[in-house]
Amino acid sequence: MFINGMGIVFAGGSGIEKFEGALAGPWVAPNSHNEAGLPSYQADLAGAGRQDLLKKIRRADKMSKMAVVAAADAAEDAGLENLAAHRVGVILSTAHGPHVTTFKFLDGIYDYGEEEVSPITFSNSVHNSTCSYIAQTMDIQGPTLTVTQFFHSFYNALSLASLWLADDRVDYALVGGVEQYGDVLSWIVDQKLTTAKDGMIKPFNLTPTPQVPGEGAAFFLVSKTAMGKAYCQVDDIFLGWDADRAIKADIRVIDSDGMAPDESAYLACGSSGVPMAAYSPLFGSMMSGSAFNMAAAALTLKHQRVYPNPVADNPHNLPLLPKDFGVDINRMSCLRFDCRGEAMGAHLSRA
Amino acid sequence: MKYEPVVISGMGVISATGGDLAESLSSLEKGQRNFLPKATLFPTSLDFPVFQASSLPDRYHLEGRRSISLALCAVDEALAEAGLANGLDGARVGVCLGTTVSSQLNDQKFYFTLRQEGAAPLEPVDRYVKMELSSYIKEKIGARGPALTVVNACSSGSDALGVALSWLRHGVCDIVVAGGADELSHIPLCGFVSLGIVSPSPCAPFDKNRKGLNLGEGAGVLVLESQSSAKKRGAPSRLRLLGYGSCADAYHLTAPRPDGAGLITAIHRAMMEAGISPEQIGFINAHGTATPDNDKVEGKVFQQLFGEKILTHSTKGYTGHTLGAAGGIEAVFAAAFLREGWMPGSAGFETYDEEVGLAPVGRKTVSDATHALSTSLAFGGNNAALIMGIE
Repeated sequence: MFINGMGIVFAGGSGIEKFEGALAGPWVAPNSHNEAGLPSYQADLAGAGRQDLLKKIRRADKMSKMAVVAAADAAEDAGLENLAAHRVGVILSTAHGPHVTTFKFLDGIYDYGEEEVSPITFSNSVHNSTCSYIAQTMDIQGPTLTVTQFFHSFYNALSLASLWLADDRVDYALVGGVEQYGDVLSWIVDQKLTTAKDGMIKPFNLTPTPQVPGEGAAFFLVSKTAMGKAYCQVDDIFLGWDADRAIKADIRVIDSDGMAPDESAYLACGSSGVPMAAYSPLFGSMMSGSAFNMAAAALTLKHQRVYPNPVADNPHNLPLLPKDFGVDINRMSCLRFDCRGEAMGAHLSRA
Repeated sequence: MKYEPVVISGMGVISATGGDLAESLSSLEKGQRNFLPKATLFPTSLDFPVFQASSLPDRYHLEGRRSISLALCAVDEALAEAGLANGLDGARVGVCLGTTVSSQLNDQKFYFTLRQEGAAPLEPVDRYVKMELSSYIKEKIGARGPALTVVNACSSGSDALGVALSWLRHGVCDIVVAGGADELSHIPLCGFVSLGIVSPSPCAPFDKNRKGLNLGEGAGVLVLESQSSAKKRGAPSRLRLLGYGSCADAYHLTAPRPDGAGLITAIHRAMMEAGISPEQIGFINAHGTATPDNDKVEGKVFQQLFGEKILTHSTKGYTGHTLGAAGGIEAVFAAAFLREGWMPGSAGFETYDEEVGLAPVGRKTVSDATHALSTSLAFGGNNAALIMGIE
């Protein structure tokens, strides 16, 4: 399976160029603080392109809007036009779904009573409303699926995309991850986890990693064969930590971002000596952050360019990716541990 | 592409029809409709009939996680029939379940307290995080394969079975526990009432005078495995899950596409995977929610693909619309009807509707069908179709 196109919406803007610029640049502090002073990385759709699409879905919530922009960008990036003429499927992963809209619906019950709630808000509070907007705006008449499994939501979606392609269920799949920031969730994670009060996620601290909530959408257009400007190949998606296999990677991208109270499982990755990278400080903590880290890995393979760790605090002396990493980069491993210490990830190689 | 057949080696179900498959079949055979005039699981002023799973044993009770309680009940029954009640015996077992309610952080007491006081006890959040549906079931039964929760609204259960089919065909695991589970919740009740599609009387799928759906709850779970796995374990079964198809309408957030194009594509795909033609479909367990739009689209499509004589029924007149559980429950029922050789009358139907174009079976009907189709149409416009067979 090949990654042929990518679309990204994150706090740094929208589009691959913006994301690549963030990867190449220095760490940037969170762009928002709520009334309680808690930091967050929030996407600004006003500056995004695709205003034509956004106008079509003006009633949609921000989660859907971010996903629609990222999905449309991924298809365009791959050069795939007129999607109705192709067999395209959509698999969307999200850990928490449209929680902001769900709470808005609960506000309706509280403020107006159970008989006076908004049907539009209710419709948008359903997890797969985002997929519906993607299908409607892009005229995709293939299978659409929304899945969740907290930490492993994205890799499960990616795995399923590869099976859809192998089954000849679709010729192309748009697979992505999306999360929306919300004050309620921000309050919850501040209560349950360690918030980086200075706004800096230190992804190699691990015990714990301080978190800063993020939001955004990252989509990939994948197919069985490489299209014109494929980023990389997805060799396999694995469940369970396989040290023997993982050691073959040139670089390992880990998803540590403070969304689990203890991320020490990643320490095991250091023993292999494979240089480690983590890009969560650029887009924030979110369980679907795996999609953003995988996008960084895909860019690394395609451009043969090393993106240094944006925050390189290294209390455990892990083998971090050096800025002057000089060898050919042929193989990358992306990895996420869940709060039970179970790993899931993907192995990527040059297209 | 030719794949090894996938065997249905165990089934479990709980809904308003009963606490297990035997009890459910008995209710269905008698045409018993166990609805309540209004919900009793939560305080509400909304006077609409609902179908509650009142026979859920106390031992399955989990505070604030009723969907998971329902799932566990159905999973236990399915594993017992599959001969796996005493452990999974080293097999690679995956779990894929569909839901709507249990995937949402929507505890009203928590949220209203937080909203009013700026802080709230976090137990509901802990339950939500620690009891993610498929992960929790995976841990509970000691499975070592993948776990995934499908949140595709009302087709979630059918889509979860489709995921399971893919996992098995590609050797991701040997056995999958798959289906759907959803509790009756105040939030969707308010939402569906706001959309004006809830019937003030017991629902009447495909009837000319239908007034909308009733909400229900339950879980339907199948143990699926490759034929070689079932043979190796000495767990023979005549039932098969033969095909799955899915297709988006790309039309509207809540209404089905009027020409049914997405549903037609999904059914064609499922038949192609099953390697059968339309005339081999013995009966259809329709989504049949009793909303004006849904039944009209399904009626048109079934008539077009199978002719107006095709034996069709909806079991939602007995279960209510169980949302993410519906696809799982109806797959269990369709497979059970194949095995039993009969199907129940479609409860609530009295008057033929020309716009629907077909009349569902009115009473218990004996059938020697070898293949059954089960359909699910979801909010968001996804359509799913499953084909079960019996040897």
